[in-house]
Amino acid sequence: MLSRVASHLYWLSRYLERAENMARILDVGASLALLSGDGDETSAIEPLVITDTLEPFRATGRPATPEQVARYLAWDPTHPSSIVNCLEASRENARAVRGSITSEMWENINDTWLQLAAKRAGGAEPADAGYFEWVKERSHLFRGVTFATIRRDQPYQFIRLGTFLERADNTARILSVKQARQPSALGGDDLTDHYRLSAVLRSVSSLEAYRDTYRDAIDARRVAELLIFDPTLPRSLRFCFDEVVRNLRELPQAPARTARRLAAHMHALLEHGALDDVDGVGLDAFLQRFLRNNVRLGEAVHAAYMELK
Amino acid sequence: MSESALTPLSAPPGIFDEMFDAAHAPRPHYRDYADWLAAISADHMAAKRAEADLIFRRIGITFAVYGEQGGTERLIPSDVVPRIIAADEWDRLEKGLVQRVTAINRFLADIYHGREILRAGLIPEEQILSNGQYAAAMIGTRVPRDVYAHIVGVDIVRHGDGTYYVLEDNLRVPSGVSYMLSNRKMMMRLFPDLFRRYRVRPVEHYPALLLQTLRAAAETDSPTVVLLTPGRFNSAYFEHAFLAQQMGVELVEGQDLFVKDACVYMRTTDGPKRVDVIYRRIDADFIDPLAFRPDSMLGVPGLMAAYRLGNVAICNAVGTGVADDKSIYPYVPDMIRFYLGEEPILRNVPTWQCRQPEDLAHVVAHLGELVVKEVHGAGGYGMLVGPTSSAQEIADFRVRLLADPENYIAQPTLALSSCPTFVEEGVAPRHIDLRPFVLVGREIRIVPGGLTRVALRRGSLVVNSSQGGGTKDTWVVDAPGGFEAAP
Repeated sequence: MLSRVASHLYWLSRYLERAENMARILDVGASLALLSGDGDETSAIEPLVITDTLEPFRATGRPATPEQVARYLAWDPTHPSSIVNCLEASRENARAVRGSITSEMWENINDTWLQLAAKRAGGAEPADAGYFEWVKERSHLFRGVTFATIRRDQPYQFIRLGTFLERADNTARILSVKQARQPSALGGDDLTDHYRLSAVLRSVSSLEAYRDTYRDAIDARRVAELLIFDPTLPRSLRFCFDEVVRNLRELPQAPARTARRLAAHMHALLEHGALDDVDGVGLDAFLQRFLRNNVRLGEAVHAAYMELK
Repeated sequence: MSESALTPLSAPPGIFDEMFDAAHAPRPHYRDYADWLAAISADHMAAKRAEADLIFRRIGITFAVYGEQGGTERLIPSDVVPRIIAADEWDRLEKGLVQRVTAINRFLADIYHGREILRAGLIPEEQILSNGQYAAAMIGTRVPRDVYAHIVGVDIVRHGDGTYYVLEDNLRVPSGVSYMLSNRKMMMRLFPDLFRRYRVRPVEHYPALLLQTLRAAAETDSPTVVLLTPGRFNSAYFEHAFLAQQMGVELVEGQDLFVKDACVYMRTTDGPKRVDVIYRRIDADFIDPLAFRPDSMLGVPGLMAAYRLGNVAICNAVGTGVADDKSIYPYVPDMIRFYLGEEPILRNVPTWQCRQPEDLAHVVAHLGELVVKEVHGAGGYGMLVGPTSSAQEIADFRVRLLADPENYIAQPTLALSSCPTFVEEGVAPRHIDLRPFVLVGREIRIVPGGLTRVALRRGSLVVNSSQGGGTKDTWVVDAPGGFEAAP
C-alpha cells in the first residue's frame, strides 16, 4: 500500500485513541476533584501533568481549577492534543484515505465529526461526564466497526499499530504520575488511598479486572503489576506490546528491522519480566525508560513505512 | 408544506417541459410517475428529502466551494424528483454521442500528427497552433489506439422546441459521475416502489466500465492503474476517492509517485511499485513541473518524459483541451463530416466567434439577448447571461469584451428545458441540463442517462454546482417516446 496512506491510517487511529485517553483522564479527574474538595490545586492540574501540558496551560492564563483544566484539554483550539483537535485530526486523516477504509468506518468517523460540530454549536462546549462518555463511546464504536468490517491486511495493521502505541504511552503516563504521588506524603488515609487507586484503575477500565484478579483490597504494587504485566487486560503495557509485535510481524519485513528489534526487546521485558525486576530500578525509572523507548519505536515505524523516500 | 397532495406546475410557454405536454397532460414516459405523485403528500416528500440530506451528509458526499472559508463542505442538493428520458430518445442521443466523440478523437490524433484537417482548410491553422491548449509536447507522440479523450462529459441542453443541443464537450477532467451514482443509490433506497413500476436502465456498472477503459489505455496485459488527485482540499475530492475505491485502484497524490529511468513508480510500504496507467484528475498543466508549470506542487517531475516514451499512459491524454476550447467547438460538426463522412446526429448551438469582426459587431449589438462566455472559461464563471443581467452588468461586460474580443464567444440564450423539482413552493419547473459520460476504450461505452443538473432558483439558467445548482437522478426507461423535434 502507499506509504502516505499508511501514515494517514496510523495517525487516524493514534489521534482517536488519544482523544479517548484524554476523555478517560478528565472523567476520572472530575470525580476525584469532587472528593478532594476545592483547595487542592495538585489534583486539579494532574491531567495536565499526565499529558505534559502544564506549561502551555499556565501560558493561557487560565486559573487552575478542575473546570478550566477540563475545558482546556477538551476544547482549546490552541492545544494540539485537545480532544476537539484530536477528533478533527482523526477525521482529516480518515478523509485523506476514505478509499482505503470501509465505508462503514468512514461514515462512523464522519458522523463523530458531525456530532462534534453539533456539540460545540453556539459555544456550548460541554466538558462534563456526559461528554467524556460520548468521546469514549465514539472511539469504542470506531474500533468495533473496524473489527467487524475491514480485511486483515495492511490498512488494519497500521490502524492497530497506531492504537496500541498510543495506548501504551497513555497507560505508562497515568501509572507514572499517579504512583509518583505517594499517598502518605499527601497525608492521606486509607480511604483517600483507595479512591485514588481505584480512580487509576477506572481510567483504564481495569477496576473489575483488578477485583477479579486479586479479590483483595486495592494496593499500589498490584495496580502496577496489573497494568504493566497482565497479558489479558486490553490496556496493560504487556497486552499493547503483544499487539504491536503481532502487527509488525504481518507487515513487510525488510524495511522495518530497527522497529522490529526494538519492539521485540520491549516486549521481552514485559513478557518475561516481573514486578521484582522493576523494583531493582524503581517503578518511575522503569516507566520513564519505557516511555522513551515507545517514542523511539514510533519513530522507527515511521521511518520504515511512512517516510516518502 | 402540508398533507395535501402535490400538484406539479407546468413550465411557462416557450420552455420545453420534460414531464408535461402543452395541454398539461403527462408525456407517455412520465404517466406512471404522475400517477404515483398524485398520491404523495408534500410532507411525505419533505421527509424523504430530509432523509436523503442526512444520508448524504453522513456519507460525506460534499463539495468544497471556492472562495469560501477553509473547511467549508457543502452538500450538492439532490432533488427527489427524477428526470426521465424515454428509451428511443436516449438511443438517438447515444448514437450521436458515439459519433461526436469518435470524430473528436480522430481530430486530436490528426492535429498532433498529419494535420490533414488544417491542410484541407476547414479550420484556420493559427486557431489550433497558437491555441494555449495546443500541447507542443504531444506533436509526434503516439498514444495507444490513438485515443486521446478516454472519459468525456458532454453537456447537452434541450431547447424550447424539444431539440437537444450539445453545449460543451468536456475533454479534460469532466466530473460529476459520482453524483450520478449516488443519486441512483439514494433514489432506490427512498422510493423502491417507483423502481418496481419502472424498468430503469442501470448505471451502477459505471466504475467497472471505467476500469476497463483505463486498462485498455495501456499496452501491457495486466496494467497497474492509479487515480491521481490534487488531494483532499480539491472540490471534487469526494469523487476521486469514491471512484478509486469503487475500481479498487490506489488514489495517489503527486508526492506518492516518482520517475526513475523514465518509468513511473509509486512509493509503497513494500517499496517502489510500477505504475502503467494514470487516471489524472488534475489539469494537464500541473502534471509535471519539469514540462509545464514549474510552480506545481501537485505533479510528478519527469512524468512527461516517461509518457512520451510510452512507458505510462495518461487518461485523458495531455493536449485534449484544444478540442473542447469554446473557439474550436463550432467546428465539431465539420470534424464529423471530415473524418467520418457522416452528417452530425446531434446539433451544435449556433456560436458567434468574437475574434471575427462581423461576429463581434453582432454580439455587441445584441448583448442583452445573448450568453457570452470566455473561450477557456468553465464552471459558470466569467460569463454574461444577457436577459437576466442589469444594464450596468451589460455595460461592464461590454468593456471587458471589447478589450479582448478573441477571448469570447457568444450564443443565443437557450430556453433550457425544465423538469418538475421539489422546492419550497411544491413541485415546480426548474431548468436542467444533462451530462452523459462517454468512455472510450476498446469500444465506446455510455451508461444510460448521466448526470442531470438543475438550477434550483426559479428562472435561473445556471446549473453549475458552484453557483447554486443541484442534481437529479436520471432515468432512461423503456417506455414510448415523448417528443423530439426532427433534426
